[in-house]
Amino acid sequence: MADYKCEPTKWVEMSQPVDGGRDTYQTKSWHPPKENWGPFTTSGTAPVWFAEANATNWTESMICKAKDLFYEAKLNECFDKGDEVAIKIHYGEWNRTAILRPEYIAAIVEEVKACGGNPYVVNDTTLSYHIFNSMAYSHYQKAGATRHGYTDATFGCPVVVADGFAGEDDYRVDIPDGLILKETYIGRAVAEADAMIVLAHARGHAITMYGGALKQLGIGCQSKRGKYITHLAHWGDPHDAIGWPKFTDQCPGKACKFHQMCDDSCPRGAHHVVEHGKVWDPSKCRLCYSCQVTCIFSGMTGITFEENYFPNAMIAHADAALGALKCFEKGKVGYINHAIDVVPECDCFPWAGLAICADVGLFAGKDLVAVEMATLDAIDKMAISPGSVAEEKGCKPGDDKFQMVNGFSPRITMAAAEKIGLGGQKYELINYEPVLSPESAARWQVRGAGGEKGKATTLRLRETFHRNDLATEVQPFRRTDYNKEWVFSEWKKYDPFSK
Amino acid sequence: MSEVVWVDTRQMSFENSIRHKLLRLSEAAGIIEDLLESMQVAVKINTAEEGYEYGLRPNFIQVFTEVMEEKTLKCPLICDGQRLVDYWRKARGNTFLKTAGARGYSKETLGGLFLLNGGFSGDEGDLYPCGSTESELGGVEVGAAVCRADALRVLSHVTLHPLFGINGALLNSGFECLSGRARTRVLQGLSPYIFNGSRPGRDQVNGFQRRALESCFGVRTAVEERIFYVNYLWDVTPQPEYYPFSEGPVAENIGFLASNDPVALDGATWALITKQNPAIEEMVGVDVPGLIRTAADMGLGSAEWSIRQIS
Repeated sequence: MADYKCEPTKWVEMSQPVDGGRDTYQTKSWHPPKENWGPFTTSGTAPVWFAEANATNWTESMICKAKDLFYEAKLNECFDKGDEVAIKIHYGEWNRTAILRPEYIAAIVEEVKACGGNPYVVNDTTLSYHIFNSMAYSHYQKAGATRHGYTDATFGCPVVVADGFAGEDDYRVDIPDGLILKETYIGRAVAEADAMIVLAHARGHAITMYGGALKQLGIGCQSKRGKYITHLAHWGDPHDAIGWPKFTDQCPGKACKFHQMCDDSCPRGAHHVVEHGKVWDPSKCRLCYSCQVTCIFSGMTGITFEENYFPNAMIAHADAALGALKCFEKGKVGYINHAIDVVPECDCFPWAGLAICADVGLFAGKDLVAVEMATLDAIDKMAISPGSVAEEKGCKPGDDKFQMVNGFSPRITMAAAEKIGLGGQKYELINYEPVLSPESAARWQVRGAGGEKGKATTLRLRETFHRNDLATEVQPFRRTDYNKEWVFSEWKKYDPFSK
Repeated sequence: MSEVVWVDTRQMSFENSIRHKLLRLSEAAGIIEDLLESMQVAVKINTAEEGYEYGLRPNFIQVFTEVMEEKTLKCPLICDGQRLVDYWRKARGNTFLKTAGARGYSKETLGGLFLLNGGFSGDEGDLYPCGSTESELGGVEVGAAVCRADALRVLSHVTLHPLFGINGALLNSGFECLSGRARTRVLQGLSPYIFNGSRPGRDQVNGFQRRALESCFGVRTAVEERIFYVNYLWDVTPQPEYYPFSEGPVAENIGFLASNDPVALDGATWALITKQNPAIEEMVGVDVPGLIRTAADMGLGSAEWSIRQIS
């Protein structure tokens, strides 16, 4: 960092806690938890199905294996015919490249429809997160989703922003059993669904260290109000920097070339730059991360997080996940983790770092924590990808990769999640390997593209070729005369490896 | 007196197609005149219920969204609110979008993102005053997609309406822009459907009409008066688009009208369609000219208009 002159941040001290209107809001929007909610397994080990990320024939396509796992893990039993089924995914920030390919989502949508469910794909709006965030408003978010190929046409069902135009369409859910949070707010399109299939991209996360299926519930299903409470906004005292950003007194003020971006990053105008530092009014701050992330993304150190913030936020997002799960009857939520493009950061980042390991595969089950633990253990076993931040930080196979890359172990979240009843950490991994047979090869071919299920497309082509034999109608092709000697030796002149 | 610009459907030719006519209407009426660069424009349309087969063609809407985007350099948002009656047991955000999609309404065909005004539930919105101490409603919750916009363009498919007489600029820029909860409050128990021919009492209908007109003030306040209106006199069916069926049109396709005055626009619209088919007055069972006068008396616009025909 350049040799800046930095003066301590000037505080506008809060005289009292922020007084809100929660009583009025709650009476309008309370959503009672389902009576029979709960993790799918209550004791012992939970089965988790795994299909590795590799393919050498029709049946091993990742798409085919995703469909197979959907049935192997009995996710088709999460809903009844006619049920409204929310397919929860992350729509991805603008300019993000490491997101789930639309085919993975379309594949499951197809099977939900085939089983009689009415699927719709959902994601909630976010808080501001950083100055160029595109996910806080639904129309920005949908524009980004469209750019990623996430559309009604590619999925074959509606693409919905769960908490409305600006993130205000939500329900409050009580979570008395939460370790930190006692309530949260869930987007209506999630809360009102009969069932939910969570299709998570397993990768790192700057706050929760790792983001998979649990984070899809703990953050992804939360409306803006839910995200504020999960961020721990206004928890404690501003000087502790748990429920507020941490101003480090290392802000160089107007000497920082990003100072205007920093000022503009706050959607509430809670801080502004002065000659050699900042002035900050914590009473206006709601902990949306925008100033912190904008500062950190700019390579500066003026606004950041208190170290103890992270494990507390991790526990809080497990609590919030419980709020989402309580919107469903037991067994009505299924999970598939896609450990593909396992990059260090979340899909809400406007870029993607190099993957920390090679693609691992797919994990499916009905026990949230078990699916997450199986995914984490498998990622940790993988070799380190060269050039990645994991290699930079000296990770070895078997290390807790996300702890080393991002700072804390995601197992903190999983232990908290188990304690509050989200699922169990013990799992039995069932390795799924499709057997190549005429039936299995035909099973997942061209449904929905006008093809007849399981029927060879070549049979349809016979009809066309019977009428128009495209190869023979223009014969003889013009080319050099066939010369066996030339054919067997001439090409070697063009091959650098030929002796 | 307010001006209403009318482009008719006569003399179609290579350079005088519907698209050309709508573009001329846009220019002549100044539909985008008040729009500035970076403004977020909400375009309120009417989407058809499953079973209603005379919905507006998406390219009729796209002509305007294209010129809006050209002016603002920002893709407009096209929106409509959830239907109030769960006729097909499908009154949910996802099924609403699915139905609109099946009608060919998509980003590609409309020229802008199609969103639910009021969110998935239909209830997302903010409260705005109805502007007068005599207001029965006091204020109305305007759907979030409309009230968060910098400007509003109201593109209405003109049809008859069982309670309001005419679905046009006034209904679509007021009642139809509200959140679901607010619309329920405006209806006060009246069913928006009449299936068996028996109509609610005149007092009930008058009360609804007045409250629906009051709603226009709330919407105007929400978008700081930056509103413009287009009425499509095309496939004017006896049922509005939220009906799950439709009988054939009751008037020929007369063309397209635009104005910055919704009262004059609906007044001129009514005059044109009833001139063509006087039986409409009888058919609708609502005193539409009286409604226009009430709207003018309330200060929503002028009951006197001049029509400038530009074909």
